[in-house]
Amino acid sequence: MDLSFFIFLSSGLFLGWSLGASDASNIFGTAVGTKMVKFNTAAIIASIFIIIGAVEAGDGASQTLGELGSINTLAGAFMAALAAALTIYWMVELSMPISTSQAIVGAIIGWNFFASKPTDIAVLSKIVTTWVVCPVLAGIIAVVLYRLTIKSVKYFHLHLLRQDCYIRSGLIFAGAFGAYALGANNIANVMGVFVQSSPLKGITLPYVGVFNSTQVLFFIGALAISLGVATYSKKVINTVGNGVMRMSPIMAWVVVVSQGLVLFLFASQELQDFLYSYNLPAFPLVPVSSSQAVVGAVMGIGIYKGGRDINWKLISKIAMSWVATPIIAAIICYVSLFFLQNVFALEVYK
Amino acid sequence: MFHINLSLFSQTKALENKIDMFHDKLLDAAMTFKKAVAVYLEQKRSDDFKKVSKQIKQIEHDADNLRREIENNLYTHNLIPDLRADVLHLVENLDKVINKFDEVVYEFYAEQPEVPMEYHSRIKELCSLSADCAENMAKASRAFFKDLSSVRDYSQKVYFVEHESDLSSRKLSEAIFDSDMPLANKLQLNGFVNNIADIADTAEDFIDELLIFTIKRDI
Repeated sequence: MDLSFFIFLSSGLFLGWSLGASDASNIFGTAVGTKMVKFNTAAIIASIFIIIGAVEAGDGASQTLGELGSINTLAGAFMAALAAALTIYWMVELSMPISTSQAIVGAIIGWNFFASKPTDIAVLSKIVTTWVVCPVLAGIIAVVLYRLTIKSVKYFHLHLLRQDCYIRSGLIFAGAFGAYALGANNIANVMGVFVQSSPLKGITLPYVGVFNSTQVLFFIGALAISLGVATYSKKVINTVGNGVMRMSPIMAWVVVVSQGLVLFLFASQELQDFLYSYNLPAFPLVPVSSSQAVVGAVMGIGIYKGGRDINWKLISKIAMSWVATPIIAAIICYVSLFFLQNVFALEVYK
Repeated sequence: MFHINLSLFSQTKALENKIDMFHDKLLDAAMTFKKAVAVYLEQKRSDDFKKVSKQIKQIEHDADNLRREIENNLYTHNLIPDLRADVLHLVENLDKVINKFDEVVYEFYAEQPEVPMEYHSRIKELCSLSADCAENMAKASRAFFKDLSSVRDYSQKVYFVEHESDLSSRKLSEAIFDSDMPLANKLQLNGFVNNIADIADTAEDFIDELLIFTIKRDI
């Protein structure tokens, strides 16, 4: 393995860094923004659980992306990740709700077109369906969870200080779970395109276990996400925090758990196997957007409480991003691959 | 983590008890206040009155100590900052009412006002209304910590009783100034009436804030 691997991997690492910087606010934003949990505590917990989630359960969603298009050279993977990163940057500038998942899917399709490989429409439609299902499901889960929580708080007549104590502990556990689910579900966005071309080998750590090459790759990607959490998410939390802070602590907890659950449902191989074993319909393992899950959860509770109108502007922005993000990413990827191949004479597909 | 959480829960329990005890002090102060004024009207600055004055002073002193402990605990306890600010504010305002009870009793002790017989029952009634206001305020405040849905019920009682106390104090003031007492006595007695009615007003202000805090906490 030479140094060029890490140069090619840099776009994926950058993508991971930006994912960590932006998505940590979905997990610990309210807790840190309202000073319930210190940023350092949140960052350490988030980093640890993102890495565990990515290494332990990141494979499922990644395989689905592989079915969509298996980018088989490092230069191609580099460009796909870079195209996704550039798209995200552009979407942020346009204040659109970002989704790394949608950008990377677009980039993969761009590569498929460039390499004249067929795009499996069945897989694509499965992925696109989950984008729509994700915020809706998050909303439904949030409402159910919210009702249950309120009922139990009322039933047990908890002292306000006790509630506070439980909520603070609950936010830490929910944050850890959210980070695990984020790592498991979204590592595919960051490192998925490199799986086919990675020269990394599996390793055996004494007393810890055996890790295959994909897990090693995911570990590196998760480190990049953690670095994003540690270095830049505080800024994002402080910006986003003001908007989120209007939520009551219980609502904040429900939103984090709902988001974590949705990401987990779309990432857990074990859960899928379990459901299949009982002949039950299972969730496809697809990377979904944690930001859109959060929006879905907040909106679900808002609708349930009847206090807020449906924010159609935000919904239309999200719906637009389902279409715009992949198309932009596909175009950027296609054009850039052309340059990479013809100007820099790099092999972008086999 | 488990150890941290265990100590967190036991600290919370201790703080809950202190807040409960603080509310008890307020209820004690209200009842002792009624008793002190009644004793003064019957016996003036007698030994019995001195004994009851000492009691209310002790209650006020204990409440101050409890307030300080609660405030310190709230800060070391690392509560959700928004809740911490609200609880601090509530505790300080509850303490103001306890102080007012003590102040009025002390004024009776120090100034020894001459209260004509015909005003005794109306002053007792005014004291009773103010104490009732404070008691319902304490219940509303306790409900804020334990059962948010009852805050409104007690608050409504405070508003009602405060209005009654307003009417009662106005009538009493008018009667005092219509009497043949020397102006100095009228002014002194009117000052007492205003101070007693002020307790109910403070309770009402407290409830206004409490209702806002309740809306904020309403999950």
